[in-house]
This record gives sequence, structure tokens and C-alpha cells, in this order.
Amino acid sequence: MASSLKYVRVPPNSASLAEARQRVFEFFKTACRSIPSIMEIYTLHDVVAPSQLRSTIASEIRKNAHVTNTKVIDMLLFKGTEELSNIVEHAKQRHHIIGQYVVGRQGLDVGTKDQGVSDFLKNFYKGNYF
Amino acid sequence: MASALRSAILHHVRVPLSRTLILNGSRTTAVRSMSSHGDDHLDKQEVVERVLDVVKTFPKVDPSKVTPDVHFQKDLGLDSLDTVEIVMALEEEFKLEIPDKEADKIDSCPLAIEYIYNHPMSS
Repeated sequence: MASSLKYVRVPPNSASLAEARQRVFEFFKTACRSIPSIMEIYTLHDVVAPSQLRSTIASEIRKNAHVTNTKVIDMLLFKGTEELSNIVEHAKQRHHIIGQYVVGRQGLDVGTKDQGVSDFLKNFYKGNYF
Repeated sequence: MASALRSAILHHVRVPLSRTLILNGSRTTAVRSMSSHGDDHLDKQEVVERVLDVVKTFPKVDPSKVTPDVHFQKDLGLDSLDTVEIVMALEEEFKLEIPDKEADKIDSCPLAIEYIYNHPMSS
């Protein structure tokens, strides 16, 4: 793989928003190119399609699309790269991948038990920062 | 009886002379058509169809709006991340790896079709 992750590189600070943007697209492409090996490692062939994983990665990136501070973007990119390298080097397990990236999206809607619960409770279960 | 049977079978098996002459004449072209050296490139129509399929199965795209000359951001209302995602989907479909400089330029269907058709490694 041309853009495989040998080690997690700490990028120098991005000079401008445009450079940060380029970095985000490079990270997205690296992640998409590692999808075949991820599916091989965790045997996700019958569970999810590569296109669904790509959409999931894109929506994760889009969650932070509103950020404009380049240092925050660099930090988020670092965390993303760290997560991706953890997944690629098999430091995670299959249920982590399925639970975090497949369930609740269009892949498998098995995890939506609490459909009648209020928004406040939903946010409360997700975390403290809302 | 065995020899009669054998000669009858051989009579059918042996190719008459006139047929071999025709075979010899057209053998050079027949050998060429057997080897797949010439058709390394994909057919343009096939490229167009596969590219359109990839774009149509993109979840955020309305399939009825997809034509061979749509612009991803202007006509289909996608943003730059979606464009990159479509380019990655095309990379997977045609088993290519598009370098960053070229990938940045692909932001519409005709450009994508053009690039894939001209790429020697598309399959």
C-alpha cells in the first residue's frame, strides 16, 4: 500500500486552513485505502460493505467540519490517525469495530433500542458534554 | 471391423485440404484475435457505465440526476469531502491508485471518465 501507516507521524502545525484541509483529505484517503485490509483483518465481509465504511469515515470527519482553529484540526487529525493505526495494527477487536462504526448507521440498525426515549436522556447516555 | 471403424473415424477427423488453405490464410489474424494484448484498455462505454453506477449508488446522490456530464458539487449538491469519497469509490471500482494532484482535479463525471479511460492500469 502506497499510503500505509508504518508509524503515527506527528505533523508539524498547519500553516493555514487550506493546508489543514489538504491534511484532512489525505487522512481520509489513507483511511479509505486501508479499508480492504481492515475488512480482511476483522472479517467484516458479510457484515458491512466498503462503501458504508467510507460513508462512516466521512460522517465522522464531517462531525468536526465546523472547526476553524488549525491547531484543533491538527489535534483531531492526530487522534484520527492514532485511531486508524490502532485499527490497522489489530489492536482493536471485531466487536469494537462493529459497535463503533457499523451499528447505528445504515449497516446494521440493531443497536437502536431506545427509540421512545427523550432527547435529554439520549444525550445523557452519550456523554457529559452536550 | 476395427480397421473399417478406424478409417471411418479418420475420414471424419482429417480436415480436407481446401479448409486448411483458408485456415492458413486467416491464421495470422486468428492468432492476433486470440491474444489479449490489444484490448488492455477498457471500452469507453463500459467506463462510462461503471462510473455512472458508482456515482448513482452513492447514498447522498439522487440517481435520476446523474448524467455523464454532471459536476459533483455544482449539479449534485455535494461538498468537497463527498467529491473525495466518490474519487475513492472510483479508485476501488477500477483498481487504481490516483495520485493527489490528479485526484484534486477530478470534480465532475466527464473528467473522471476521461482520466480513467486514459489510465493504462484501469481494469
